[in-house]
Parts: sequence; C-alpha cells; structure tokens
Amino acid sequence: MNNTQTVTADEILRSAQELRAEVGVDFHEKLVEAVYTDAARLADRAVTRPDQKARFDLDATIDRIVTDRRWGFLLMILLFTLVLWITIEGANVPSRMIANLLLDTIHPWLKSLAAAISMPWWLDGLLIDGMYLATAWVVSVMLPPMAIFFPLFTLLEDFGYLPRVSFNLDALFRRAGAHGKQALSMMMGFGCNAAGVVATRIIDSPRERLIAIITNNFALCNGRWPTQIMIATVFIGGLVPAHLAGLISAASVVGVALLGVGFTFLVSWFLSRTMLRGEVSTFSLELPPYRPPRFWQTIYTSLIDRTIYVLWRAIVFAMPAGAAIWLVANITIGGTSIAEYIINFVNPFGVLLGLNGVILLAYIVAIPANEIVIPTILMLTVLVTGVDTGAGAGVMFELESGADMLSLFTAGGWTLLTAVNLMLFSLVHNPCSTTIFTIYKETGSAKWTTVAALLPVVMGFGLTFFLAQIWRLLAAL
Amino acid sequence: MAPSDGCEGCPAHNAANLLKLGVDMQDWNYVVALAGNPNTGKSTVFNALTGLRQHTGNWPGKTVSRAEGGFEFGSARYKIVDLPGTYSLLATSLDEQVARNFILFGQPDVTIVVVDASRLERNLNLALQVMEITDRVVVCLNLIDEAERHGLKVDERRLARDLGVPVIPTVARYNRGMDELVKAIHEVATGEVRPRPFKVRSTTGVLKSALEKLEREILQLYPELPNVRWVALRLLDGDEDIIRALRSGELGNLFQMEQPVEEQRQTLMAEGS
Amino acid sequence: MQDSLIALLAGLAVVGGLFAFFWPEKGLLARWRRIRLLTSRVLHEDALKHIQKQDLNRRPASLQSVAGALGLDSNRAVQLVADLEGQGLIRHDEDGLRLTHEGRQVAMNVIRAHRLWEQYLAENTGFSQSEWHPMADQYEHQFSSEELDALAGSLGNPLFDPHGDPIPSREGQVFEHNAVPLTALEQDQSGRIVHVGDEPEMVAAQINAEGLLPGMLLHVSEKTTNRIRFWTNGEEHILAPVVAASISVQLLEEERESRPVGTATYLHELAQGQTGRVVQLLPRLRGAERRRLLDLGMLPGTLVRAELRSPVGDPVAYRVRGALIALRHDQARHIQVNLIKEEA
Repeated sequence: MNNTQTVTADEILRSAQELRAEVGVDFHEKLVEAVYTDAARLADRAVTRPDQKARFDLDATIDRIVTDRRWGFLLMILLFTLVLWITIEGANVPSRMIANLLLDTIHPWLKSLAAAISMPWWLDGLLIDGMYLATAWVVSVMLPPMAIFFPLFTLLEDFGYLPRVSFNLDALFRRAGAHGKQALSMMMGFGCNAAGVVATRIIDSPRERLIAIITNNFALCNGRWPTQIMIATVFIGGLVPAHLAGLISAASVVGVALLGVGFTFLVSWFLSRTMLRGEVSTFSLELPPYRPPRFWQTIYTSLIDRTIYVLWRAIVFAMPAGAAIWLVANITIGGTSIAEYIINFVNPFGVLLGLNGVILLAYIVAIPANEIVIPTILMLTVLVTGVDTGAGAGVMFELESGADMLSLFTAGGWTLLTAVNLMLFSLVHNPCSTTIFTIYKETGSAKWTTVAALLPVVMGFGLTFFLAQIWRLLAAL
Repeated sequence: MAPSDGCEGCPAHNAANLLKLGVDMQDWNYVVALAGNPNTGKSTVFNALTGLRQHTGNWPGKTVSRAEGGFEFGSARYKIVDLPGTYSLLATSLDEQVARNFILFGQPDVTIVVVDASRLERNLNLALQVMEITDRVVVCLNLIDEAERHGLKVDERRLARDLGVPVIPTVARYNRGMDELVKAIHEVATGEVRPRPFKVRSTTGVLKSALEKLEREILQLYPELPNVRWVALRLLDGDEDIIRALRSGELGNLFQMEQPVEEQRQTLMAEGS
Repeated sequence: MQDSLIALLAGLAVVGGLFAFFWPEKGLLARWRRIRLLTSRVLHEDALKHIQKQDLNRRPASLQSVAGALGLDSNRAVQLVADLEGQGLIRHDEDGLRLTHEGRQVAMNVIRAHRLWEQYLAENTGFSQSEWHPMADQYEHQFSSEELDALAGSLGNPLFDPHGDPIPSREGQVFEHNAVPLTALEQDQSGRIVHVGDEPEMVAAQINAEGLLPGMLLHVSEKTTNRIRFWTNGEEHILAPVVAASISVQLLEEERESRPVGTATYLHELAQGQTGRVVQLLPRLRGAERRRLLDLGMLPGTLVRAELRSPVGDPVAYRVRGALIALRHDQARHIQVNLIKEEA
C-alpha cells in the first residue's frame, strides 16, 4: 500500500473523462443491459412455472372486459356515477347531523356561554361568529362527502381498476396533450381539488403532471356542488313548470360539471402547446395485477391519508377566513361597514361581469374554502339590502326555503344572468387557498403556482364578461 | 477483516451525512432505508413495519416527499426512511438521485429492497443496483401470494444463495413474513449476518475494462472506500454529486464497514499490474 | 344596449391586444425580446464563432464573410471587426481574419455553450429537434461560464451533443468518439452511428437524404471497393466509400441476437398476442423517455408481447419481463422488433 504512487482527485476525473469517450455514447444502455442480463439469469434460476398455461387467467379475463370497446366505457361510467351518487346521497344525512350539532346546538351554546362570562361583543363575534362558524361550516359540508368519496376511490385504486381507467381514457387525454392518468386526478378533484393535485403524483411525466395540476381546478369540487345545486334550484328550476324543476336544475348542474371537463381538455390542449411545450414528456403506464382490496385497512388508511389531511388544511385556512369575514362585515367606519365600502367599490366591475359586488367580495374573502361562499353571499346581501331574515346581521347563515332565498336575492338585484354567471364563475375561478398551497408544495415552483391560480380566474372574468354583454345585447333586441 | 471493523453490533451509518440528508439519529440506534419499484407494495411494507408512528415531509431542498417511521426490536430502536419508488438508480431523475445518494452517503445500517415476486426480473434490476452501493441489503420478496396465484413459484433459498443477501418472502398486506423481515433487518444491522452480495458481472468489453481501470485509481486515493465500483460507474456517467464528493474528499468519509477490503483491493491491484 | 355593445367591443379589443402581444414568435413580446438580445456581446461572439468555423473548414474569413454571416451592412461590420481587433481577439494576416489565442478561447466557450444547450434541450425538455438549434443560438450568449458549468453538471457532464459533435470542456479540451469511419466495417459487422460529418456539403446532403442519424444501429451486408451496402432500421442503403467515410460508427462489441437486417417491424405493428424481440430503440426516443423504457427492461434482445388493446386501439399494453406496460403508438413506433413466429 505504501509503494503505490498516489493519484489526485483531478487525475481520476481526467481519466474518467477519457474513459467515457472510450466507452462511447451508449454507456447507459450498455450498463442497463449488463444489469438486466444478470437480473434475468438470477430470476430464471429462482422462478419456476409449474403449470403455466393450464390455469384460468382471471386477470386477463377481467382485463378483457374492462377494456372492451363497449363494456369498458359502460362499466366506467356506471362505476363513477355510482361512486358520485353514493357520495352525494350518503353525505346528506351526516352532513345535516354535523350541521345540526355544530351550527344549531354548539353555536348558540357558545354564544350563551360568551354572554354568561360577559365577553366583549367584538371578541365574541370574532371568535364565535367568525372563526368558529366558518370552520364549523367547512367541516359539516366537507367532511361527510370526503369521508365517503375517498375510501370508495381508494378501494377501486387498491383493486387495480383505476389504472385500467387511465388505459381506456388515454386516447382522449392524449389528444389534449395530457396523460391518461389525469382521468384519475380529475376524478379525485371532484372530491377535492387539493386531493386531486396530490393525486397527480402518479403521473411521472413532468409536462403532463403540470397540466393535470393546473387544470385540476376545473373539476367541480365537493365544496362547489352546494353552490351549484342551490343556485340551479332557486333560479333555473324556477324557469320551468314545477314537475320539471328538479330535473332541469339537476341537468344544469351536471351541465356545469361537464363544462368543467370540457375546460379541462381545452386548457390542457392549450397549455401543452404553449406554456408547457418545453417540459419533458414521457408516457408509460403500468397495469398492475388485480388485488383483492383489504376493505377496512383501505378505509382506515384513506381516512388518515386523505380525508384528515385535506380537512386539517381546510380548517387551518377557514379560521382566518372566518375572522376576516366577520371583521369586514362588522367593523364600521362612519356608520358604514368595511364590507359595504368594498362592495360599492367593486360593484361596477361585478355588474360588468354580470355578477355584483357582493359576489365578488364573497369570492375574495372565501378564497380559503368554497364551502362558505354561499353563507357569505347571503350575509353580505342582508347587510347591503337590510332585509331581515332572522339571523343577526354580520353573521353567516343559510336559508332552508328556496322562496326565501329567491326573494332575498331579488331584493339584492339578482337576475337570471347573475345566477348563470355565478354558476359559471363558481366553476371557473381561482382555486381555494388550500389547493393553491398544495400546488406550491407539489410543484415547488412559484411560477406554476401563479399560473394555476391566475389562469382560471382570468378565464372566469373573460367568460362571464362576454356572456354578460351578449346576454344583455340579446335581451335588448 | 478490515481494521475499521472494531465493534461487533455497532451501527454502521454515517450520522453526520445523515443529518445533512435530513435524518436525525439522536434517539435511534439504527437507520434502515426502504427501496423498491413502484407498485411493489413498498408502502404496505413500510406501514406494516412502522404502524402509525410515521412522519411525512420532504427531502431537504427537494420536492420529493419522504416518509419516516420506526420500530423497536430487542432493545434497539430502528428508524426507517422510505426512499422514492424507482425502477432504477442510474438515471438523472430527482427521485433516483435522492435514493442513490441516501444509500451511498447516508450509509444506512440496512437497506431493504422490496421486490415483487411475480416480476422478479425487473425488480432484481433495482436490487442489483442497490447491492452495488451497499452490502447491507435485505431483500423483501413481497406479494408471493400473487405470484402463486399466477402460477409462479419463487425459490427464495436459491435466490438468497445467488444474491448473497437474506431474502425474506412476505405478504405485507396480510402481515405475513414481517417478523422474519424484522429479524433479518436486526441480524444485518448488528452484523450477526454479513451479506456478501452478488455484484454485476455481465459488463463486457470497453465498459468492463474502463470500470476496472477507474476502480484501481479510486482505490489508490481512497483505499477504504466500500463501494468503489459504484463510484467508478457514477464517474463514468458524469454524476456531478460524486464528482463533487471526490473533489472535496467527502468520499474519504465513507468507511468500509465489514467487508474484506484488503482482499478486494489486492485482487484489483493484481489484475492491474 | 349601447353600453354592452361598447363593453363587448372593448373586451374583444383587449383580447385581441393580448394575442398580439403574447403571440409566439410574431407577437410584440417575442419581437421585443429578440431586439433586446441583439447586444454587442451577441455580435462579438457570433463573429468569433464564424471566424472559428471558417478556420475549422480551412476557409479564409474576411470582412465580407463576417458581414454576410451576421447580416450586417459593411459599415457596422468594419466597426465590429475593429472592435474585436482592439480587444486583441482577432488579427489580420495575408489570408484574412484570424483568431488570437484569447479569441479562440471565447469562440470555444460559445461553442461549448451552444452544444451544452442543445444537449440540454434534447435531454431535459420536450422541444422538438428542429427547435434546438435556434434556441441554443439564443441561449449561448446569455450565461456566464459558472452557470454553464452548473448546466453541464446537471446534465452529467456530457462529452457530445445530440448531433454527436464534441462539447469542449471548460478548459477547451475536446474528446473524440471511440469510433471508426463506416468504411472500416467489414461485411456482417454491426455498429452504431455516433457522428455524421457536415462537410463537404454535397456529402452531408446525401447522408441527410438517406435519413441516417447518430444513434442508429446499422449492419453491413456487403462491402466492395466501390460501394458499401448496409441495413439500418428496415432500409438498405448503398453509399460510395467517399460518402460513407464521413459517417463515424462505434462497433458493437457483442454479437446480438437481433440484428437490424431486413425490413423492419415496429412494436406498434404487433397484433394482439404477437411477440417480438427488440432490435433497437431508435434515436427519436431520447432523454427521460428512453431511460424509462430501458429501466422497464425494454432492451435489445428482450421479448415483448402485445397483450391488451385499449378500446380505441392506442395505447396498447405489452408484456415486458413479466409486467404489463401500456405504451402509446407514438413511442412504440420507435421500437424496432423482429417478429417471433408462433409455433403451431
């Protein structure tokens, strides 16, 4: 050891460079070949296939059915409809129960407690009417559907069906410059966009993953369904005879959701040809064998991994939002609340978009969670119009009856155009702050986060603006 | 036996480097890295080993997510670091970079490679690469139920003999084989079992001779380096992290644990002269 | 009504304005960027690069050739050349303009930058092949030598660019391919094209017309004194030795089971249930995409079976080393296979 002459690091690097030129440009390929040659030999020695062909191949049979030209799509639509239906139907009851508990029982109790210890009105309002109420709202609207949707989805995933969905739908997504797996993150987005953004991790091609992240917002998430359903019931259902009202309003909500899917493809197509052209694109999709899902374990892990995670983030963002909402509604300068100042300021712009100042302010303060948009709009409308609905002014609430809502909105100057544009804007606007934060964590890039946040809101402005102008022109004819 | 191997059962990991990689070993005795292909049930193995005691975050300075957890066996506390699921460690993707640098610079006491028994060939591709970086490998032959369902029988004893490392058949979904896995981890960590992993030998022609030449030079500079061939491979691929570590002398901090370096070195020297 | 009409028109005007501004290549933003890029650094470096290129091709560089290559009028060209001479980067001799030692260094650095960027664009981005050169032409002037080192490091310090041209090291060192001219191959030998010469132009044009690219495998089927006949992916080419000599080939060391001989079949052409043995991944598959396929075990000699078609027929799932991997036609069409005849 002592007699060997020492080499320096630089000498080693130099000879490495020379050797690299000698080995040639296909170094990587040669190396992988060498490793695989050994791997194949070792595997061959260890694996025996005693009865190779005799066995009935269940996987291949399932695969043939689920990727069949007819049955494949039918099965897919049926399964996804079933999942959505179970989610919406199944969430109703627990949602109401939680709302009863948090909003109708605990909230008054907290109020009386605050009164009993004679808490100053502003602290009581800020903490209980602001932060508590907003959080309670988010939890009651968000938790039940997520607790149902995510486990169902995870079960399908665990079974091995979802990769087949990507496989079936890839042709569609390919034409939009996207990856078949985007079908999955999009479906997940119907539950929650933040979860959908996390789900894009399965897409291992950088360009397609960014596309999936940026367009996930166009999947109408769980927090926006109630807005759509309410506005559709109150305004669009009211246009047709009563026996058709349910059908038409449901159809219009589904229409909005499908429009979202359409935007997903359109924007994917646009992004892949412009902004994201330079990102690397690869495609490979492994179809793993089917595995019998482990029911309870799956439900448990999906609750832990997805539901609680998303819920926690939403709560973290909802609390400050609740505080902000309460503050703008309750702090007055010269007898007028801050909210009214802002509403008056943005109202002309809102009207230009076929919306109004109340809606715009609601979307500004409700960035943290779409769930509180409707309560905020109702509260602000009361604040502006002065109509008495029973709830205290400056406090978020919801109305049970559609007629009450219609009369409140009409008092606020709403028209059918306002309703339609609100539905559109609810579909096409910036992602909620939870999602924006998730996008930042997933991409690690301020640039793509900004694009993902601004692109839909600019689109939403454009869409509502043009619709409003054309609508008014036609209405005047 | 290498002179640095003074202590039976002592941890082998590189605590200083681990800290730089974001792993604090203060309350732990051993660190175990978990590697594997995507879709091999790696996370199931991770969950089965750690239960609920896990912590998720990102690798320092990277957007690659990481899970950490732990378990106790005997009187020792084992920390498990879940590496990104990759098909290979040879390419330039961030995931692969993170995984290979952790195994190389962190020098985990044990690296578990989760392999899918029904896709052995492709999974061994990764296992062989890991075995180039570290000797302290345990192969977790997962999903054997699925392989059986497809009419495949894997002879794990023969595989263990061929690979030169412990091979533990498991079905992590049903917690089968996990006790044996933990025991194997313990044995390798404490040095009771000393794997002598199979090293890739199918390199031919210029690639082979280039590797050998480079290995000899590296050994002259760092006679104690445990994984010369891997370093040589990475240098031939122009890996900037390795080049930097070579320039800064950081490679010199990677100690030979228990492999008979002397033997290895002498054969190489003999071939060279 | 009038209000909404005005608003509508104003809105359309805004949208039109945005398009005019952001439109790629022809938009105002793109134009402004281009103009801003034409700094004196760019002119200087381009002039040095031009003189270096002329020098390499053993042609004299002159004031006229500089003006022509850079598209300058003679006044500005004179000014430019005077500037460069003043900085000691070039000098005159009887043959015309020459680079000084310093000038050559600057020129080499620009070439390094250009080729590094081409390699980057080829390996780490999704831009198409025709875009690499013009983009690299812009980027080559924009970065410091430290930034270039970082770029080289992140790329694994490549020695060659995607066209097979050497990338000079920071010190100006250039590596040669471990290759021989195609004319040195004997009958029945296989090799991989590593570089295609671009001089003289006539020869380059013919090679280009034959579609021969670095990265392709070839197999010599016949060699006589006045012609060499060889197969690449599914096509047989016949070249005169003078042309073949400017194709550099790296010999394949090992005998392969599948050689690129005869008409080629590509993976996407396999019918459901058919099996093929991989011959080669064509050079079009590059960067991350190529590495992923290799990692999945899609290597020369590997058996691949087309197993499952998606409802539309694209993608198709293939059985590769035990795993079922779906690939799109767009990828599969670049994987050459030999069809394995099924035994009855």
